[in-house]
Amino acid sequence: MNLALWAAKTGLDAQNTQMSVIANNLANTNTTGFKADRAAFQDLMYQNVQQVGAQSSSTTQYSTGLTLGTGVRIAQTVKNYAQGSVLQTGGSLDMSITGLGFFQVTLPDGTIAYTRDGSFSMDQTGNVVTASGNPISPAITIPATAQSVTIGNDGTVSITTAGNTKPTTVGQIQLANFINVEGLQPTGNNLVIESGSSGAPTVGSPGVNGLGSVAQGSLETSNVNTVTELVNMITCQRAYEMNSKAITTTDAMLQYLTTNLQ
Amino acid sequence: MDRGLYVAMTGAKQIMQAQTVNNQNIANSSTVGFRADTVSFSSLPIYGPGYASRVNAVAADAGTDFSSGVLMSTGNPLDIAVNGKGFIAVRAADGTEAYTRAGDLHMTPEGDLTTGTGLAVLSESGPVNIPPSTHVTIGGDGTVSSIPLGLSPAAQSPVDRIKLVNPPTGSLVKGLDGLFRVKGGAKATTDETVAVSSGTLESSNVNAAQSLVSMIELQRQYEFQIKSINSADTDEQSAERLMLTS
Repeated sequence: MNLALWAAKTGLDAQNTQMSVIANNLANTNTTGFKADRAAFQDLMYQNVQQVGAQSSSTTQYSTGLTLGTGVRIAQTVKNYAQGSVLQTGGSLDMSITGLGFFQVTLPDGTIAYTRDGSFSMDQTGNVVTASGNPISPAITIPATAQSVTIGNDGTVSITTAGNTKPTTVGQIQLANFINVEGLQPTGNNLVIESGSSGAPTVGSPGVNGLGSVAQGSLETSNVNTVTELVNMITCQRAYEMNSKAITTTDAMLQYLTTNLQ
Repeated sequence: MDRGLYVAMTGAKQIMQAQTVNNQNIANSSTVGFRADTVSFSSLPIYGPGYASRVNAVAADAGTDFSSGVLMSTGNPLDIAVNGKGFIAVRAADGTEAYTRAGDLHMTPEGDLTTGTGLAVLSESGPVNIPPSTHVTIGGDGTVSSIPLGLSPAAQSPVDRIKLVNPPTGSLVKGLDGLFRVKGGAKATTDETVAVSSGTLESSNVNAAQSLVSMIELQRQYEFQIKSINSADTDEQSAERLMLTS
């Protein structure tokens, strides 16, 4: 069928996908540690109708050619790992990372997932777990006798107990970082997992080897910029309308052809 | 048979191709670094016995619109936009050196700097590779610097420099993969005046209003051609009727 129609159709498809990405970003403006996605558009392959520079005779060449583009596609969604704002909550197991790195979380199947969401809490046995109940890795258990929990900037978790003035260290939070954080695969529940393009994690204590430091009593908010998203939404809508207009115009041309040449 | 019919048919066909190019531009109005294609028509007289009264229209690339797009701030240090004129050198899928304005760069686990399409970004000496490090930044002249893993921010050091070129736009052709190459396969040389800004991306330079107006213009021109075909047909029918009555 007509290439002009298909080129415009790919535009509609891509803008529709972009709208899904924008809607997801806006829906997650209050999600702790959420990182905004951006839809990356790419032009599709071109068709060579008339080769530029081809011989038009034995002594002359075509000075111009004709290549027709076949449209656009969304090649990938790219997460923006820029730091979100830090919200003071005062919760003793709420943590935010200032700088690079991810908290490590053990999934039920034993694999490790990574998150920027530091809203941890305790389960019934004192293990530090995420809101979904996945324990932090390496595991940290707060004894029932603990009166207060203190987490240092370097990730040291210490407690005080009744009648004991000296704090006791009960664990050490380790952060992981990746060479290509954009290559991490989001799995939902504020978690991302390692993928072939993210590279292997480098694990270390907060504040060491370029890793960020941990701040107790605060949470990292979503880094979605609502103004940016709303502007994106407007451009997306207008681009969608233009592609739709291109389809109706091309259709009208073909319709004119069929009604006038019978 | 009136051969004017074929002239009008060729015109209609070429206008449809021009509409395809226009639709392609509109479809790519959100593609980072996309440069709009333009179409021109040239006349091709048909020579033969007698006067060359028939002139076919032939659509051809008038090239590419190289004007700048709008800069969009993303905050990602690996997103770069070329300020003003210039291109980023990449290694195309066929191994040749090609040029692009799309600066949404990424890093592979091996430390290779690639474009959003996965093509290696080139320096003067080959693909840019960043050793294991943190805080990769790209300077205004394309210098990539990073802090080697395990060292303090004071150890920030340059790693490599992205090849930025500015060949005359007249010498560039858009390939089937959408990348630009120098006509004849030569390589462009590094231009020290080309500057990039980190944390921004350049939008497509498709002018929405202009595309919509040319869309309408092409539609009407198409209708003229169909009308001509119709008239040629009507003329032919009248001639046939004349023959029948005689």
